[in-house]
Amino acid sequence: MKIVKLILLLAVLGIGGGATVMYSGIINVAADEPHSDLVYWLLAETRENSIKIAAQNIEVPDLSDPELLLTGGADYEFMCATCHLKPGQSESDMSLGLYPAPPNLAVSNDNHKDHEHGDAKQAAGQSFWVIKHGIKASGMPAWGKTHDDQRIWAMVAFIKRLPKLTPEQYQILTAID
Amino acid sequence: MKTLTKIALAMISTLTLSLAANAHDPSMHVKKAKKANCSKMDHSNMDMNDPVAIAMMKKCMKQAEADKKAMPGMAHSKMKKAEKKDAHNEHDH
Ligand code: HEC
Repeated sequence: MKIVKLILLLAVLGIGGGATVMYSGIINVAADEPHSDLVYWLLAETRENSIKIAAQNIEVPDLSDPELLLTGGADYEFMCATCHLKPGQSESDMSLGLYPAPPNLAVSNDNHKDHEHGDAKQAAGQSFWVIKHGIKASGMPAWGKTHDDQRIWAMVAFIKRLPKLTPEQYQILTAID
Repeated sequence: MKTLTKIALAMISTLTLSLAANAHDPSMHVKKAKKANCSKMDHSNMDMNDPVAIAMMKKCMKQAEADKKAMPGMAHSKMKKAEKKDAHNEHDH
């Protein structure tokens, strides 16, 4: 009985504390004010694990068809490059202003070490999931609402090759004919 | 009849003018599709088994074909002749 009372007391205290934080307006939601290291770590771990679990059973199709690079490339240039940049461009209004910042998809993945994507297939499945469903409370939209899986896989194929592309190759692949 | 013609004329000119104004709206120029810069393609170290290289060739061949169709008046045959003449001249020197 004592334990139940203690748990109830803690629950009331927890809810009270939460409500105080919520209604006092003490939390700063400004995007130009970074999280503390602890909060950042908590959010990053939660996100990484959520994506890993959600994407683990996705069947990755063959992504070697050159045609995929052309559809995926045109879509990337039109819909993603403002946030995720392109070869020869290191910043944009979006890449600087958004928080969490959109990762630069035109540089190799091993450059940012907080992503341990495992093998290439797994990484492709995770990219697909993120593009299709987006990421809550970040600038990343869910493109699956307006694009079918085929087009999303084409973008996955494209961003897989993106870090190795020169600005000239990027221009040719993404130009609209 | 005369007033009708006048009205028609006025309507036509208003319509054409407003359409022209529309066409020059700056927002339409913001993200104009650019053609692929195929002359910048680096053929020297191109691996034709690489999907990136194949995709670039596809895009540029398609664009070249479209360009040819778009400019039927351009006399490509004459251009070649001129080039040949130049080359010949150089030999003579
Ligand atoms: C408005 C800006 C914005 C646009 C446009 C956008 N993204 Fe994102 N994207 C983000 C942000 C921000 C994140 C990181 C979210 C986070 O860390 O919580 C992200 C994350 C991602 C990730 C996960 C990267 C990783 O390593 O974890 C992928 C893949 C991705 N975006 C692909 C795309 C593609 C493909 C498009 C175009 C169809 C696109 N994004 C368009 C803002 C954007």
